[in-house]
Amino acid sequence: MFISKKKTALVLLTAASAMTIMSACGQDNKSSNTLSNAVPSDAPASTNANATAPSADPSTAPAAESVDELYAKAKEEGKLIVYSTSGRANDAAETFMKQYPGIKVEVSKVKSDEMMDKVTKEQDAGQFNPDVILTKEVSGAVEEEMVMTGRYIKYLPEDIAPMVDEPYRTQAEAYANYVEFRTLFYNKSTYDKAPVTNWWDLTTPEFKGKVYTADPLSSPAFMDLFTTMVINSDDMAAAYKEKFGKDIVLNGTDNAGYEFIKELFDNGLIVLKGSDDVLDAIGKASSDALGLAVSGDVSKNEEKGWTIAPIYDIKPKTSVPDSGYFFIANKAPHEAAAKLFIRWMMGEKDGTGEGLAPFNEVGSWVPRSDVKTKNDISFEELNLWLFDGDALYKTAPKVRDFWIKQK
Amino acid sequence: MANKSALTVRSTRFYNGLANWLKSPIHLIGLAALLFLAYTIAWPVLKILYTTFLWRQQDVRLTGEANPGHFTLYHWTRVLASDMSMNLFYKPILNSLGVGFAVSALSMLIGCGLAWLVVRTNVPWKKTIAFLAVIPYLLPSWIISQAWLTFFKNGKIGGTPGIMEALLHVSPPDWLSYGFVPIVVSLSIHDSVFFFLIVGAALSSMNSQLEEAASVTGAARWTILRRIVFPLVMPSILSGFILIFTKAISSYGVPALLGTPVNFYMISTMLYSSMRSRLTTEANVLSLTLMLISMLTIYLNQRVVGRRKSFVTVTGKDSARTLTSLGRWRYPAAGTAAFVMIFISVVPLLVLLFQSFMLKEGVYSLDNFTTHYWWGGSDPNINTGEKGVLQNDIFMLALKNSLYIAGVASVIAAVIGLILGYVVARGRQSWIGRMVDQVSFLPYLIPGISLAAIYISMFAKPTLIIPALYGTITLLILITVVKELPFTVKAGSASMMQIGKELEEAAQISGASWLTRFRRILLPLNRKSLMSAFLLVFIGAMKEMELIILLITPRTETLTTITFYYAEKGYEQLTNVILMIIIAIVITVYFLAVKFGKADLTQGIGGQ
Repeated sequence: MFISKKKTALVLLTAASAMTIMSACGQDNKSSNTLSNAVPSDAPASTNANATAPSADPSTAPAAESVDELYAKAKEEGKLIVYSTSGRANDAAETFMKQYPGIKVEVSKVKSDEMMDKVTKEQDAGQFNPDVILTKEVSGAVEEEMVMTGRYIKYLPEDIAPMVDEPYRTQAEAYANYVEFRTLFYNKSTYDKAPVTNWWDLTTPEFKGKVYTADPLSSPAFMDLFTTMVINSDDMAAAYKEKFGKDIVLNGTDNAGYEFIKELFDNGLIVLKGSDDVLDAIGKASSDALGLAVSGDVSKNEEKGWTIAPIYDIKPKTSVPDSGYFFIANKAPHEAAAKLFIRWMMGEKDGTGEGLAPFNEVGSWVPRSDVKTKNDISFEELNLWLFDGDALYKTAPKVRDFWIKQK
Repeated sequence: MANKSALTVRSTRFYNGLANWLKSPIHLIGLAALLFLAYTIAWPVLKILYTTFLWRQQDVRLTGEANPGHFTLYHWTRVLASDMSMNLFYKPILNSLGVGFAVSALSMLIGCGLAWLVVRTNVPWKKTIAFLAVIPYLLPSWIISQAWLTFFKNGKIGGTPGIMEALLHVSPPDWLSYGFVPIVVSLSIHDSVFFFLIVGAALSSMNSQLEEAASVTGAARWTILRRIVFPLVMPSILSGFILIFTKAISSYGVPALLGTPVNFYMISTMLYSSMRSRLTTEANVLSLTLMLISMLTIYLNQRVVGRRKSFVTVTGKDSARTLTSLGRWRYPAAGTAAFVMIFISVVPLLVLLFQSFMLKEGVYSLDNFTTHYWWGGSDPNINTGEKGVLQNDIFMLALKNSLYIAGVASVIAAVIGLILGYVVARGRQSWIGRMVDQVSFLPYLIPGISLAAIYISMFAKPTLIIPALYGTITLLILITVVKELPFTVKAGSASMMQIGKELEEAAQISGASWLTRFRRILLPLNRKSLMSAFLLVFIGAMKEMELIILLITPRTETLTTITFYYAEKGYEQLTNVILMIIIAIVITVYFLAVKFGKADLTQGIGGQ
């Protein structure tokens, strides 16, 4: 009776604090964001013995595990659970199971924001299900609410780290195996080359009523681009001056980023439900309109019968990266298998492994200096803003409010 | 001494009273029902309510005043009385109410019309019409709105021109292409089957001697309809109205697709946005406003139905049924009904079926025919090597899980719905009945994701007598049953309300226990309503996605989670194949139910 009462009390407590749990939980490992620090001392002894991961900084890291060692341990674990926002993980899992027989990979596909809820609730209830997390950001919330609290743990194999491009080697919240971004698309059968070079072109009469976007209210990654413009409003102001030859005049808005959104609406911006709707709009029949969509969608061109091309150089910056991050979940039950699978998806040490194929596609970039991209332009040449998770986290709701008020 | 005995008497009297009160099955079952509802629905709703009065860590993003963990009215003021309120709340709520009422009214016209035609007239092809009426609900609602766009879209959203524009060379106006009108039509087409089934059940159990009596005394046909038929089916119509209203205001897919191009937002679309932007408390406030509105509607309904005399139509006496003759309108009426329904339901179905056999979409030649998407092996030139659906490794597992979840959940849901419906119908005058009625209605309005997220916390660890259900199929079944309660309880109570107490009383006098009475009298008499509840829950569960996505673990993959993967990759034909398989399963179950469950949706529930 006493025990069950205590349990009830625990559940009640969990329930009551369910919404404010972020601040209450994970205090013991709040500052940790690499695996080596984050495996707390109460982790099972078997995984603690010599499974401590190499951190990004080689000086503090213990000796790295070899692939063979990992495989031997992973076979004992026998399986591996992946939570992924992208189906690319399913494709990599298939080749992985051929390469490393004896380890069964199970992939759950969940949206990034729902994954945050799922993992938070699971971990708070003492269930540690996933091993590998493959997720996009949600306007900085993943870093703020999951990484800083030690629920998702950064993992970058030490021997591969030197080949990884910044910011994903040390600066970003984790290593990202592929980078996409939102950019403008045009119809190749209408235009020979990119019809615009500056974001402000969209506010000119030539494109009145001819700009489509997926709804940033239901796809936060689209809002991230606009929020980044607000954060980097000086860049936007400079681009304005470059385009029109005069300083920007704000019509009741706070800065050039907000002004851009306002003028976009004033110029008849058309909002559609999703990225595919946008590309259907400009790509199916001959159209002189432009659409904002995900760079990776260019690979669906043939599948969908589109004739679209992305624009990879827009002033002041083309876009902001939307990265597919890799994490190991806190207290992952199959840690060796998780590490082995992450290595596989990274294309192993030299970046030539089959597991990388689903990530190295047209329209998405692998931020490794030793991996050849399938795109005409390399990752370093892309003119992107930095993904500033902290600033985005704080600014995104304000830009969303501003967007809603434009309706 | 005297004092003491007085006390004893009083307490004995109290216990006797309590024992008597509990002896009534309505009270006992009502209490059990309330306990169940309290844990599965009221508790999550209270938790949602509680969070709206607290600052969260996340709120630091919205305002510097945020003080995590402390009491605040900020979230309610922000939604109801700030410079955001107009666009965040008031415009969307007006749109929601407008859509809700319009969809209910239109579905009522379609549903009641069809129900009358099939049940009360001598129209031919009844079984076909009843079957066709279910088909739109088989399709995901976005397919109907997609079909609408294919016909009526104008230049605004670009792409290939709509069929109307291509044929008539006139561009349809925005109001016809997007926003209110198409949303209302799409949702009505999709959901009117609920009206058809609920009202149909009521109509078919009505004794036509009532009408004949009126007719003999010289009442005109319209008078009979107005004075006899209408009052009798009124409780069913109100039930259907509230049900459709709630379904409409909580729908997301259709308003998102058709509303966005013209800035037509409903509370449901705003709520989805708040959720995805991780402004969870804002989403909670918005969903609570929806709950308040529907509770108000239900309260008004209880006032209307509760004050009336109850009309018992199933009394155990034989009730002859004569059908209204349509005369020379018999075939035209059947033809029109069938044609319209084939056009809006069978045509989209066939188009999807064709597409699943087409290598490239929209190419109509024989070389383009392929069975690759059904059972083809891996071909690097098609879908970057993705195998056909039947070759997919997890297909069999997912199929098994889907069938198991849908099968078990729909049977449980139908029976629970009937039992709770019994409490609602018999306890209409008591607080228990009204409570059950109110609470069982909330699940439609709790966003699936929120409910699922709360269920993770509630069921991840064993609590009291409840084992840890998270990660098991049982939890998926439980949440499906709970989510469908609004419909099953409404269907159950509407049907129970027509069954006279005398039947039960007679059995009780002859010594039958409640369980026997339920099994031998109520269950058979409510068979039709039970079967339609079973069918609709089965369909809903097979299509369900949102609700279970948070609760599945890899072992519990279902057919719909596979489509989730295909859709992301843009593999449209593969998605269509899964959809076809789901529809084929449901149609099979339908015919099995009709054949073996004698669930003839065109016949009465009058006890045959």
